[in-house]
Amino acid sequence: MAQQAVTEYHAEVHDTTYNTSTGLSNRKLLMWAFLGSDVMFFGSFIATYLVYRNRSLVGPYPENIVDVPITTISTFVLLMSSLAMVLALHYVREGSKNPGRFWIFMTAALGLVFIGFQVFEFWTFVNEGLTPRTNLFGTTFFILTGFHGAHVTIGVLWLLILLFGHFKGTLRSDNSLDLEIAGLYWHFVDIVWIVIFTVIYLVTANDGAPPGAPPFLHG
Amino acid sequence: MTTTTLTIPRIFDRPRSASGIWSWIGTVDHKRIGTLYGITAFLWFLVGGIEALLIRTQLATADSTLIDPDTFNQLFTMHGTTMVFLVVMPLSASFFNWFVPLQIGARDVAFPRLNALSFWLFLFGGLLLNVGWFTGDSPSGGWFGYAPNSGITFNTGSGMTFWAIGLSVLGVASIAAGLNFVVTIFNMRAPGMTMFKLPVFTWMTLITSILLVLAIPVIGVALIQIGSDRLYGTNFYNSLGGGDPVLWQHMFWLFGHPEVYILILPAMGIVSEIIPTFSRKPLFGYPFVIFSGISIAFLGWFVWSHHMFTVGLGPAATSAFAISTMAIAIPTGVKILNWMATMVRGSIQINTPMLFAISFIAMFTIGGLSGVMHAAAPSDAQQQDTYFVVAHFHYVLFGGSLMGIFSGIYYWWPKMTGWMLNDKIGIVMWFFTLLGFNLQFAPLHWLGLDGMPRRIFTYSSDQGWESLNAIASVGGYIIALAILIFLFNIWYSRRNKVMAGNDPWNARTLEWSIPSPPPHFNFAEIPQVQYRDDFWYQKYPEQHEEGHVHAIAPSGAQDDDDMMFDPETGAAPSGGAEDGHHDDHGGHGIHLPDMSYYPIMLAAGITLGMGGLMAGNWVIVLGGVIGMWGLIGWSLEPVNDPAPDVEH
Amino acid sequence: MNSNLLPRFPLRRPLLVLIPAVAAFISACATGNPQDTFDTAGPVAEDQANLFKFIFWIAIVVFVIVEGGIIWITLRYRRRSDDEMPKQTHGNTKLELTWTFIPALIIIAIAIPTIRSIWDLAEPPSGEPVMTVEAVGHQWWFEFRYPEEEIVTANELRVPVGKNVIVKLQSQDVIHSFWVPKLFGKVDMIPTRNNELWFRADEAGEFFGQCAEFCGIAHALMRFRVIAQPEAEYDAWVAGMRRAPEPPAAASAEARGQTAFAANCSSCHSTDSYRPGAYERELVTQDGRWTGWLANIEGARIVSAPNLTNFGIRTTFAAGIRDLDRATLVEWIDDPGSIKPGTRMEAHAAVYQGGDGTANLTSAQVSDIADYLLSLVPGEAAPDDSANGSGDDSGGDPVELGQATFAANCTACHRTDSERLVGPGLAGVADRAGSRVSGLGVDEYIAQSIKEPNVYIVDGFPPGMSSFAHLSDAEINGLIAYLKTLN
Repeated sequence: MAQQAVTEYHAEVHDTTYNTSTGLSNRKLLMWAFLGSDVMFFGSFIATYLVYRNRSLVGPYPENIVDVPITTISTFVLLMSSLAMVLALHYVREGSKNPGRFWIFMTAALGLVFIGFQVFEFWTFVNEGLTPRTNLFGTTFFILTGFHGAHVTIGVLWLLILLFGHFKGTLRSDNSLDLEIAGLYWHFVDIVWIVIFTVIYLVTANDGAPPGAPPFLHG
Repeated sequence: MTTTTLTIPRIFDRPRSASGIWSWIGTVDHKRIGTLYGITAFLWFLVGGIEALLIRTQLATADSTLIDPDTFNQLFTMHGTTMVFLVVMPLSASFFNWFVPLQIGARDVAFPRLNALSFWLFLFGGLLLNVGWFTGDSPSGGWFGYAPNSGITFNTGSGMTFWAIGLSVLGVASIAAGLNFVVTIFNMRAPGMTMFKLPVFTWMTLITSILLVLAIPVIGVALIQIGSDRLYGTNFYNSLGGGDPVLWQHMFWLFGHPEVYILILPAMGIVSEIIPTFSRKPLFGYPFVIFSGISIAFLGWFVWSHHMFTVGLGPAATSAFAISTMAIAIPTGVKILNWMATMVRGSIQINTPMLFAISFIAMFTIGGLSGVMHAAAPSDAQQQDTYFVVAHFHYVLFGGSLMGIFSGIYYWWPKMTGWMLNDKIGIVMWFFTLLGFNLQFAPLHWLGLDGMPRRIFTYSSDQGWESLNAIASVGGYIIALAILIFLFNIWYSRRNKVMAGNDPWNARTLEWSIPSPPPHFNFAEIPQVQYRDDFWYQKYPEQHEEGHVHAIAPSGAQDDDDMMFDPETGAAPSGGAEDGHHDDHGGHGIHLPDMSYYPIMLAAGITLGMGGLMAGNWVIVLGGVIGMWGLIGWSLEPVNDPAPDVEH
Repeated sequence: MNSNLLPRFPLRRPLLVLIPAVAAFISACATGNPQDTFDTAGPVAEDQANLFKFIFWIAIVVFVIVEGGIIWITLRYRRRSDDEMPKQTHGNTKLELTWTFIPALIIIAIAIPTIRSIWDLAEPPSGEPVMTVEAVGHQWWFEFRYPEEEIVTANELRVPVGKNVIVKLQSQDVIHSFWVPKLFGKVDMIPTRNNELWFRADEAGEFFGQCAEFCGIAHALMRFRVIAQPEAEYDAWVAGMRRAPEPPAAASAEARGQTAFAANCSSCHSTDSYRPGAYERELVTQDGRWTGWLANIEGARIVSAPNLTNFGIRTTFAAGIRDLDRATLVEWIDDPGSIKPGTRMEAHAAVYQGGDGTANLTSAQVSDIADYLLSLVPGEAAPDDSANGSGDDSGGDPVELGQATFAANCTACHRTDSERLVGPGLAGVADRAGSRVSGLGVDEYIAQSIKEPNVYIVDGFPPGMSSFAHLSDAEINGLIAYLKTLN
């Protein structure tokens, strides 16, 4: 019985019922528990962002700098990557080689596009005078979105490794669990972004100078 | 099969030796990792104890100039940090590692290499925390690191940055360990062992692990924030940039209060094993003890602000947190009464583990009562940050957690080593521990009520605190004596070995059904569990009220507690056969994961990468290279080699 | 669980002794030590102590039952033979519910007075007269400000007996906690937050307090006291703090001390809060000292420091850790770090730099400064405030008058060389003053800078100097004359 742990490492379990007490794969359960942990992680950063809303002593404030339309596009891209992930898992499970490969690639590529948008945004902000040291908005914004970006980056690397495995034949329909677990992670990171997008780009995007703080003058 | 992995070129030869230092460095065996945790944590315990003795020596007299204030601040900061993160948590982890798999009838934890990674991160993180003793600049902002006093403006040395980095590394270790035990306990139970047949220690481990998984990220975020403030000049807790010092307190205590239960629940689990064993009775009110544990852990998330009653939260918030805090007394009281009821009409064997377990109840009760006094916010305004609080939490953490842990050490020592610790010497040690503990900490209640604040490096003779402080310091030295007696006991008992046999205590749970020390593979046959305290009823089948009714459960599929085990193995409970179709390795019976160097490499990489934030970019690069090497090696390395396994 | 439990109870007799003993111990607990939380002197501390005692007695009952129970059970049910086998009981739901319910009742019993007390103590009783003071935490001393009386002092908070006092709590640097055990439980002083507490001293006396939140190296040495006085004495103290000390006799030790103090100490320590407008100025100056320190922590030579107005009537100094006497004061001025390790004065003030941390002063100078400080006691009450310097003494040399006026009013922020303190160094001011504002000559510009300092601010300096328009014309002319001599 204790064997099951061992067995799983071989990635050779042939069906979706696992020889464990709960019938769930150990690795899948691990990922779920980890995501629970990650909820607390992002929750703490988002809470910090909200606590410090409207408390910057100097500009730039969100209204001076946040570009909602562009980030809406990048958010759409990330949402589409989740769709690609679903399709990838579907085709890999089904054993369809080329569509599987294509959609894994698309997931990673859309993730990369999202990262590209984020790099562009950071670069623009720094040029417009907002760094993590400038004010509380800068501090909380960069650290929160930066850690999210790091999660996406790890996800992209993971997907690329899986894509490599798919070419080599180590990722097959019979161990699509590998991809399913990466998918759990990917969807989670996507959901976290929806929360971050809502908080930063929908709720607080129009925040200006709080009472007592000087307005921000461009240039 | 693993043929595909075979084709990947190997970077290292896999560690194979069954003895010697490399066998420990490469080990993934939960029992060895448990031992490593135990030894390391005990060494840290000595370090933290010496720090405590220095503190007590300084405070024994008024206007003492033995230790300068900066050193004193470093000592109490490191004493607190060490005892919480490097002693009580890893000593509990040592028992988790050793006994959770044995109690649930498993051959290892769910992720043995992840388990090794946790240990190495714990070791290296502890070293990072203590770097300051060598640079002369230890953390001095308190274990609670209140901003802005812990910020770079007011604490300019490298100490608090190492503190933030070291605790972050320890946090990764704790989360990894927590995840591992959550999965292990949910997924690795022997056939028939439903959740409500789990031993209480395993239950408390599960609750603790869930708390770790959820609480550590919060302190992790706080540490990232203060670390980036110190390293990169961000504004999180920079009050000049608008940063709010109270946010740090919310973050710290939102972690910190669940942390308190992370420290005490394992000890509650330990005594819940020991008291029934030495009373020869099952635990009274098992489901109530379990649900009390769950409700303590749950309520523990809603009480953090009672650490902040003097912050000025306003009467509404203060009232709410006062009530939620008091509410925790209810499940705690239920547990205490259940332990007492277990002993009532029992046959109580008085020996070292039992005496420590009884002392746990007695001392923890005192800590609980003073805890209720803190919950009364107006009276807490006088007690907050005084020695009354110091007395309170030492009654909980020493009188509670450490008494429970010592109880566990004496109880499980024969299982871990195969030989007994001398009981007479043990009782002497227990006596001096209890005596020294009470001499040390009881007077602190009065000192606190007499207005002595915490964290002061000296006090003036006109304040009238000298005699009680002197008594407390004597108590501290008596505790040190007790620890020396403990070390002597190990030495003595090792020279005059009394072998233990499988079941020296006539105990109740599965770990006692196998040889002492357990073989590498733990169970030759995975047990088929029918009852709570299954081993007891194997020994005394006539004692079970319905023992003869279902002598052999045909299948766990009938159990509705949870989604239980695979009916296949349930139906074929006999030993090696169950390896059945999983065993692709040439038919020998038991397969355990092989040793691996990669966990220690990854841990070293992470630690160097984090430490490099202070030491310089080349260290980060070095850490990155080693860490990636470890990670890639780990991913490509099969858990088992197809080659003949030398381990058995 | 057993009706004849009590008669057989082996610890019954010791317990009967123990309970009164504990009671006696607790009543003896009012040790009379200076920070005893039971020896209360006001309604806030009393309410807090009573709540504690109420819970304490409940806790004692629980303690005796549980601890007695544990010992009794252990002795009563200890194993008597190795083959004993007790009945395997698994639990009893009724019993479980009972002992869930009973603690819940106890908790409710404790919660009710707790909640009542939280709300009762939140604000002073309405309708009673109340006074407000401000307490500011600094590393490592307490500043007290009386906004209504315009008094600034340090480490000794004087209040009238029987009056409700609201203390507004601030901190300049890190978190401190404000606590006088006999009068009130602590409330934290937190930068960026404005907390407050209230208390009333019902009896006269000195009540000891101490910072209760770890605040750095000298946390243990951050003490203060509340001195509660009958209303009349308190009023006399207020009036005294509003009066200038007698000026030292010419060529006396005090006079030499005054000069040495002006040269070495007055950048950080004000001594003139009795002057009109000095209260606002002190607030601004203290803030300037703080931000100046913060801007250059390594190199700062000015730090926030206690206001020493009428220092001679204090009973203690150095954040309440020493009684005020001449010998200790001399020791302190010479080497403050030996009395209070980590003190900012020794770490930063120019006079302590460059050597072994002791003052760069001769022992005669140190002694003179001590004499001068001890001579700072309120002068004779004078109806028309001669201390302010009336215009009558215009007979003397204007430069001399200007120098004295400068020493008394300006040295907190300005040096006479070119080095910057809070404000610019004034050496050579005559050369630049004419070119600052077109249309203003040297004298006019300097006069404007004294009377309306914020009309024109030199680049790179913070606005914040308060107006000195209250100075007499003779003093202002003297200042101008004196400043023009600086090179």
